[in-house]
Amino acid sequence: MKKCLSFLSVFVVFSMFAALPALGADTIRFGEIATVTGDFAAYGTAEVESVKIAVEEINAAGGVLGKHLEVIMYDCRTRQEDMVNAARRLVEQDKVAAVIGPSGSGLCIAATPIFARGKVPHIGTLPTNPLVTVDEQGKVRPYNFRICFLDPYQGRMMAYFAVKDLGLKKAAILYDVSSDYSQGQREFFIDGFKEYGGAIVADEGFRGDDVDFRSQLTNIKDSGADVLIYPFMGKSLPLAVKQARELGIKTVILGGDGYGDFMWEVAGDTLADTYWVSHVDRYDPVLKNFFDKYQQKTGTECQEFMNAVMAYDCVYWLKDAIERAGSDDPQKIRDALESTKGLKLLHAVLTMDEFHNPKDKDGVMLRCDAVQKKALFFKKVRPE
Amino acid sequence: MTTLSQQIINGLSLGSVYALIAVGYSLVYSILLFSNFAHGGFLVVGGYACYFLLTQYGFGIWISITGALVASGVVAIITERMAYKPIRDRTSMTLYLMIASMGVSIVIENIFVIVVGGRFRALPQDTFPHDLFNLGGNVTVNSFDILSLIVAVIFLGGLQLFLNRTRWGLAIRAAACNLNTAGLMGVNVPLLISIVFFVAGLLAAVGGIFLSVRYTLYPQLGGTITTKAFVAAVIGGLGSLPGAVVGSLLLGLAEMLTAGFISSQMRDLVVFSMLVIMLLVKPAGFFGKQVSDKI
Repeated sequence: MKKCLSFLSVFVVFSMFAALPALGADTIRFGEIATVTGDFAAYGTAEVESVKIAVEEINAAGGVLGKHLEVIMYDCRTRQEDMVNAARRLVEQDKVAAVIGPSGSGLCIAATPIFARGKVPHIGTLPTNPLVTVDEQGKVRPYNFRICFLDPYQGRMMAYFAVKDLGLKKAAILYDVSSDYSQGQREFFIDGFKEYGGAIVADEGFRGDDVDFRSQLTNIKDSGADVLIYPFMGKSLPLAVKQARELGIKTVILGGDGYGDFMWEVAGDTLADTYWVSHVDRYDPVLKNFFDKYQQKTGTECQEFMNAVMAYDCVYWLKDAIERAGSDDPQKIRDALESTKGLKLLHAVLTMDEFHNPKDKDGVMLRCDAVQKKALFFKKVRPE
Repeated sequence: MTTLSQQIINGLSLGSVYALIAVGYSLVYSILLFSNFAHGGFLVVGGYACYFLLTQYGFGIWISITGALVASGVVAIITERMAYKPIRDRTSMTLYLMIASMGVSIVIENIFVIVVGGRFRALPQDTFPHDLFNLGGNVTVNSFDILSLIVAVIFLGGLQLFLNRTRWGLAIRAAACNLNTAGLMGVNVPLLISIVFFVAGLLAAVGGIFLSVRYTLYPQLGGTITTKAFVAAVIGGLGSLPGAVVGSLLLGLAEMLTAGFISSQMRDLVVFSMLVIMLLVKPAGFFGKQVSDKI
């Protein structure tokens, strides 16, 4: 059954990307693993499109080291076992120079041994869990990189914002027990929140593919919380917001960086006045050109903008690394990625720290606006 | 007390959606004696048909719902004709039908992934009532929950009438006793099976529409929720329609009460333990017939 499923999914993805140019010798190949189906499908679709846009731009401008960039894409179906299969394929059979994506922490962590064994560098687009680039002993994973900030930062940012900016001190948490991303963010939020003088009054879990959270939310409703924390992603986010409001929970809702415009379709006006951590401000003028291109190319508005911008910048980061390495040798690209300093990308200036994480990135708080049906820039937050 | 009442309301509303899906399952099972795992696919077809008729083609809600019911029913008939009938013609082993149905469910899912993409969608929220009623204390009930319970009752009642009061209903009941004998008695078996699949598809579409209003619409929607509906049908007794309803309500309640009072992580553990215990103690479920060769 499972074999049959993965065969089908590989087939589906192959047919989706059959339009890509055939492989040639004068190209530099890199891999892209995205969540085109499954729970994070919306994020993955945006990721695939923006990688394609970046590759087209780079090739139109003459490519890298005189060669064209070529991307081989696989769908990991938002499942760790498919992620491992896709990574293995890219490293062992397709012999790519590097791999980009996907956004999920758990997915990226699952494939870390494959990249280490194959000595191929990997850049996650939005995996915010610390374990993506360091192991349990705190040692850096030599072949893993990320372009986004981390959950400890994000968790603290949410705690800081709730206590210092909104003055809320009784928090209830709903989190996904099957997700590394969610577990990590919850933990760091709790630490920060307590430190800033808040108390956790309810802590409820759910399992990844659940769609009904009303029993947990009923308990949360009775807990007297004044802020409700949502550290998770995917379809669960809009559903949990909607169900909370339907149960009559009126507290402030504050979430991590899982926000996407697709949530409006599912949750509608119940999203109004909820707050979300973001890596970028959607309406930052420097991003306009990219979003216009996206719209032009796909015919739809880019709704999962955080991951799209990150994936786009990942390709440019990789291009820069290949140029500095002067070769498409994975080992040399890895070294170049590691020594990235002051690289001007679309959304930020990138400098790597010794743990392969970007240094000093600002976090943004977005606030959902009921009239415009958008998450608008609320304020920049840097927790102390 | 407030919490308990709220959890019971939550459980009943979840159970009523399970019931619509579980009854479709049971209906097909009672005639052909196999579990049609493609049932989740029919549900997705109904959801998407309603979605596109409403949002892309701008039809009214009633036309869209009717269109979705017909679309699901027709897809169910086509599925039966293309995937199951050739197998039924060749062998009497229902195991092959079940395997084929697994394949069909994956095919339907992947067709949607390719054609409409994996994005999460939802039916326009303002087309359905969503007012909150306060039942005293802090207990609230959503008018959509009440609506889904009422619709479930209407459709299940209608199905009962169809089975008990019409000639085709009589034929279906006869076929449920013994398909071959019913055929020998002059029942047009291929037509009868098509009708059964049409009705099952219809019920699945209703479930699909309710699920996509309450939750969200995506190609894999059929997978998780129909597993639960299947468990509900087994607990109630596969092949028994009242059993499917009772099993669904029980399951919805068990899920919500476990998540509310024990731990939400125990939810699936309790659901599947219920299934195992039921199979050990009363393998045919609460209302099922005791037979040995069913799958």
